[in-house]
Amino acid sequence: MTALLEVTNLRKRFPIAGSRNVVQAINGVTFSIAPGETLGLVGESGSGKTTVGRCILGLIEPSDGSIRFQGKQLGDQKATRALRGKIQLVFQEPGESLDPRYRIGLSIEEPLIAQRVEAAERRNRMLEVARLVGLSREMLELYPAEMSAGQQQRVGIARAMITRPELVVLDEPTSALDPTARADIIELLMKIQGDLGTSYLFISHDLSTVRFISHRVAIMYLGMVVEQGDAAGVFAHPRHPYSMGLLSAVLLPHPHFKLDASVSLAGEIPSPINLPKGCFLATRCPFAIDRCRTEMPPPTDLGGGHIVHCFRNQDVAHLDRASDTFAEFQLETERILSASAPAPAPELV
Amino acid sequence: MNAIVSSEMLVPAQSVAPALSVRDLRVEFPTAMGAPTVAIKNLSFDIEPGTILGLVGESGAGKTTLARSILNLPPMPGRITNGEVWFEGTDLRRLPEEEQRERRGRDLSIVVPNPRGELNPLITVGDQIATRAQVHLRIDKKAAQARALEMLQKVQIPDPKRRMNAYAHELSGGMAQRVVIAMSLVCSPRFVISDDATSGLDVTVQAQILKLMRDLAFEQQSAMLFITRDVGITAHFCDRVAVMYSGEIMEIASREDLFLDPQHPYTVMLMAAFSHNAKLRSQWRAPDESRENATPSVGCSYASRCPKAQSICHVEHPELLERRPGHVVRCHFPVERT
Repeated sequence: MTALLEVTNLRKRFPIAGSRNVVQAINGVTFSIAPGETLGLVGESGSGKTTVGRCILGLIEPSDGSIRFQGKQLGDQKATRALRGKIQLVFQEPGESLDPRYRIGLSIEEPLIAQRVEAAERRNRMLEVARLVGLSREMLELYPAEMSAGQQQRVGIARAMITRPELVVLDEPTSALDPTARADIIELLMKIQGDLGTSYLFISHDLSTVRFISHRVAIMYLGMVVEQGDAAGVFAHPRHPYSMGLLSAVLLPHPHFKLDASVSLAGEIPSPINLPKGCFLATRCPFAIDRCRTEMPPPTDLGGGHIVHCFRNQDVAHLDRASDTFAEFQLETERILSASAPAPAPELV
Repeated sequence: MNAIVSSEMLVPAQSVAPALSVRDLRVEFPTAMGAPTVAIKNLSFDIEPGTILGLVGESGAGKTTLARSILNLPPMPGRITNGEVWFEGTDLRRLPEEEQRERRGRDLSIVVPNPRGELNPLITVGDQIATRAQVHLRIDKKAAQARALEMLQKVQIPDPKRRMNAYAHELSGGMAQRVVIAMSLVCSPRFVISDDATSGLDVTVQAQILKLMRDLAFEQQSAMLFITRDVGITAHFCDRVAVMYSGEIMEIASREDLFLDPQHPYTVMLMAAFSHNAKLRSQWRAPDESRENATPSVGCSYASRCPKAQSICHVEHPELLERRPGHVVRCHFPVERT
């Protein structure tokens, strides 16, 4: 199967005004997304996740590397225009991304106005997409301020889906939401993907949500993907010290399920202006040896598309607990919460 | 076996005297049309010295209103219309305003999210921390500076000597949050409220800060109220956990009891949301129609969203019942497990 999106060796440098220094935001990122697939892009703030998303959308121009969508190189204006609407974006703050003076229905239709679709057709497609995301007809007459954050995010998703995109970049779509609204939105996104086969680039620092929505996951640190692969595999058997440290900080809502805490990352992310020589994690990594401080580790393919950038991935493997904590947590939660559960409500989403 | 809980019974049996006791606290917001909105409905709880009570709930549950009202600073235009806040034997609300102000910041402290909004951009962080110590502990400037430096070391700010002279904008979010925590703890307060203080942070920084707050609470034997939307944190960080909904506590238990044996349907629904299990989620939520027809009723405030609600739930307000020692639930039909 050919990839829908192929990002190869992407780099982005931002010059700093009045200085010779350069912020090296993305430093050689390579990944691909297949049709109907969700790739979770995770990392701490400042790791370059959002910048990658913006390059794909054509909102900023990459300094180097290539982005191919459906086999075509993105970048020149003609190609970008032909693809308009095929790649869409959902924002983090649903309230702030909607015009407060537009009724919801108009906000949803707006992308089609830009595409010069006729009014009658616009209205039909707006109603269709409102049904898809579970917004009632009465809600289309409301203003954003009259809705809850979860409903606003449904509008954000409807706005993205109305152009029938092949790929949606979801930039932290649930981090401003309450737990129940967050779970609703995740279920909605998965249902849309099941019905329409849309691909997602799911950018988030909420690792447990990423674990459940993604097929594959890419973990970013200082503008590099340090590890990527099948989501369940990477979460259960991380091979990069950074992934381990990130995962060990996840707090699952059950006091007995602690993730492996054998790697804890001290200190903070170094400045992307003065990047360390060698591996970027070496300053914080408990596994670092001299070689890590002088040489950048190349990608190592562990099989099955699991790729890690670490000289010491073999030693990291020794810490593997050979169990999938997330899956065990889910099973245990199901056991506890099934007790005297009422019959399911008829329709969800 | 089940008995209606009087306020006194909320204290676990083996306990020492609580550091903080909130009794029947009620906070109302006036509305343009007659009856005020009751944001906090006669809420009571205790926190023992050296322990952390987690308080979880979704937006609108009244978490921040509660935090501010404990310090007798309810958000405007809210008013505390009833209740007592006992702190080490005195009802804070009956102290003269002057004395209340002295206590806040010294004995009682609050950490809020958005650390940059909390710090003065024109004063170095070292001076800000030191001033707090100088004012509240009545020590001289030199001693206060030394204490500020010591606090920066405790919150593990790299190169603390240099950071004493840093301004807020020179710090990253995680670093600024640590400064705010250092400032909140510089007077060794015996009660600390953390109002969603770690929500904006990355997970690795959050882990460091939680550990720090836990260690400091233990070391100084402070009591802590830890308010959050993130149920996962409370499962690992708090000694006891309270679940709040619509201005009321629905369930309080030790973290083991709460997570292994959740009894209120709302608690179960919240946990199902974190499990991402679609079947469980649909089982534990009420059908859409009943939710939309929700009217504030005299009964249980969760009744309109509860899949287990019976007719009694809509007419009779459930009391907090102690189902097991230390495990208290406000529900007519709590979940039974065998």
